[in-house]
Amino acid sequence: MTKRKFKFRFSRKLFAYPYLIFMLLFVVVPLVIVLINAFLGDDGKLTFANFAEFFSDAGGGLTVLGNSLIIGVVTTLICFVIGYPCAYLLAKYHASNKVLVLLFILPMWVNFLIRTLSTKAIFMALDIKLGMGTVLFGMVYNYLPYMILPLHTTLVSIDHSYIEAAEDLGADRFTVLLKTVLPLSLPGIVSGITMTFIPAISTFAISEILSSSKIFLFGDAINMHFSKTTNSFGVGSVMSLVMLVLVIIGNVLMSLTDKEEVKSTL
Amino acid sequence: MKKIFAIFLSIVLLVSVAVTVTACNDNDVVTDSLVVYNWADYIYDTKLNDFKDYYKALTGNNIEITYVTFDTNETMLTKLMQGDAQVDVICPSEYAIQKLLENDMLVSLNYFDEQKYRSGMNVNSELYVHNSENIDRHIIEKIDEGFSDIKVKGNDVPQKMSDYLVPYMYGTLGILYNKYAFNEMGIYDYETMNNANWGILFNDDGSGNKLSDGLTGNILMKDSIRDSYAATVFYLKESGKLNGLKTADGKLYTDMLAGELINAVDDTLIELCKTALTNQKSELFGYEVDFGKDDLLKGNAMVDLAWSGDAMYAVEESWNDYLCPECVTRTGIEQGSGKDAVIVCSECGSECGDYELGYYVPHSTGNIWFDGWVVPKNYDKGHLNAIKLFINFLNNPQVAAQNMLEIGYSSAVSADAVRSDDNARAILAEAYVVNDDSWECVDEKGNAITEFDYDSWEEFAEYYFDYCDEMDNSNWRYPFMIAESGDGTYNRNLETLGVMRDYGENNKAVVTMWNYARSAGVSALPLLGWTALAVAVVVGIVFLCEYIKHHKNSVVKVTNATKSDESDKTE
Repeated sequence: MTKRKFKFRFSRKLFAYPYLIFMLLFVVVPLVIVLINAFLGDDGKLTFANFAEFFSDAGGGLTVLGNSLIIGVVTTLICFVIGYPCAYLLAKYHASNKVLVLLFILPMWVNFLIRTLSTKAIFMALDIKLGMGTVLFGMVYNYLPYMILPLHTTLVSIDHSYIEAAEDLGADRFTVLLKTVLPLSLPGIVSGITMTFIPAISTFAISEILSSSKIFLFGDAINMHFSKTTNSFGVGSVMSLVMLVLVIIGNVLMSLTDKEEVKSTL
Repeated sequence: MKKIFAIFLSIVLLVSVAVTVTACNDNDVVTDSLVVYNWADYIYDTKLNDFKDYYKALTGNNIEITYVTFDTNETMLTKLMQGDAQVDVICPSEYAIQKLLENDMLVSLNYFDEQKYRSGMNVNSELYVHNSENIDRHIIEKIDEGFSDIKVKGNDVPQKMSDYLVPYMYGTLGILYNKYAFNEMGIYDYETMNNANWGILFNDDGSGNKLSDGLTGNILMKDSIRDSYAATVFYLKESGKLNGLKTADGKLYTDMLAGELINAVDDTLIELCKTALTNQKSELFGYEVDFGKDDLLKGNAMVDLAWSGDAMYAVEESWNDYLCPECVTRTGIEQGSGKDAVIVCSECGSECGDYELGYYVPHSTGNIWFDGWVVPKNYDKGHLNAIKLFINFLNNPQVAAQNMLEIGYSSAVSADAVRSDDNARAILAEAYVVNDDSWECVDEKGNAITEFDYDSWEEFAEYYFDYCDEMDNSNWRYPFMIAESGDGTYNRNLETLGVMRDYGENNKAVVTMWNYARSAGVSALPLLGWTALAVAVVVGIVFLCEYIKHHKNSVVKVTNATKSDESDKTE
């Protein structure tokens, strides 16, 4: 029997370790802390009181969650309705007009807080009452690029011969779009939707600025539990967990559609 | 190879150690250190250069200061209680100090007992001046009124909080409003304002009716649980919603003084607050923490729940040359041209120029708050000297004047101490461009200033120290002036201003209530409905188009087919 000896070997794997350590420290550990906090009461003992408080809707947490989800869905929908034609046109004129793509990404280079504050200033100057409409506008304005970009990448990569083939077989323009382009761009649609929906349900700065904090979203509620009080970390953690679960569900759904997509193309 | 590397490394280390040792020897002066934990933007110079000079003069040593800031009492408390912060001196608000003291985390300072304070202090006693006399005694009285029997963990004897802190800044909670907008709505007069009282924030004229339709959608509330709670409880009392209601001990809420009322946090009050705050939502422009001043200055909103310091800053910023203070209207017009142009009122012809905003602290009930310096028990024992000198330094009238200019809040150093100190006077006079023979006024380039905002120190002092607002008969900067004058100018009672303690066990209930009030009244369901409708309409139209197209196509096909069929047949 030979003793196994640990031998240090310089390999490519080594380069992954810093990232692994980073992930452990800044992703796994915080999540564990959130998880622990969710089960800790004021006295430091294990309890389900935080869950009871959140799910009994005493602090209006569920109402806020419902509102956030609705606003998230509507934002994503509007982004898709505006974003898809945009991405389609951009992809169509891609070769000749790279400047056009740049123009769509350009707003992303300006800090989003500055953008939102200026949006508010414009609304005030136009005498538009701040409220649900302005918040929705701000959301769409801020998250539109996140919808357009993934759509644009998939649409550009669609082989044009598919479309030509469809046209040759007698499909009119509408049918080509519906039966060929749309299914082929499904991966882009899915990632565009997740990239818009998840930040849209967790945002708090946009709703705070564009409704003068009148519209209170889930992100605002979590923020309040952590930054404005000392002893409600528990409920805040429960809310963060709920958010996490939503994100996980979203991702699972996304991977499901991906698989189906793979199957159907196979 | 490895050996060579090791030798090289040790040489480098040795050299660096030698360098540091000689560097220390070169300089005989000892460098002490101090860690300050303060609110952000809460001192006139975060580098504390003046304090460094002061420290050097008194002890002969240099001092190195680590200056750290926090944004809310809660973040500070969390850090301190979890032992994440090792600091020497902190400046929390009253209720946070109470919490720290209850957890036995503070050192007794005894600043008002010079002997005790100076024990263990190593300074040049000829140069040292103890500044405790400068502090306004009213503040200490108020602290004792609310915080004289704090139960400290592990100590059977209740403690007086005033032994543990040195007041720094203080102020009131009140209503910042747009005078000119109020006048346009016809509610800018003594009677209406004082009948409505805290109801101004709820658009309630004091009898349950709307104060003015113009106020709807123009009211800002503070996104701060404690301040909004206090204002709401005062409103409940003033509007008679507490009439006949009793606490669990059988005491009438209406019999309580302001101080008792805000600290009597119980389920009845919390429930009533919830209703009031939920109903208030339809009147609001929104909630704010930092943007309130801006929104009022820009005219986005007309009323805001504000702290006195913020309010005074906003009022001073709101100067407008075209406002006529006589008519309280925006009727200023320019007359003449060039340098001789003056702005006069087109109605009454008097000279224009006024502050557009005003601050109002309701007469009957109000909240006074203060921040103070405390020393946590885990302070660095070697820094004691610096800590004590730092606290004493801040109570120098000159430093107080600088701080008031920079921060905007009222320093705990009394008005008399500031106005009788030559250096402090000079600082204020320079900042406010006051003309006086005792100092020379020069601009940045060194030229003598010929035009002044105030023609004499007396004129300035009347504005700065003795100001009395006609709407609430009070002095915003020095709220304790109310007790002193007997001539009825400041006709208020000191008891009307209460200090707010920590909510203790009820804190959670208040937080839940606030969360509920914030989330109530907003529903995204209509939005969902409209979206569903829009989607349905779009889908419907698309299908309709498809249907029509198909229908047409088929018809065309049929006619073609029959024609071709016929032609086939005939051929």
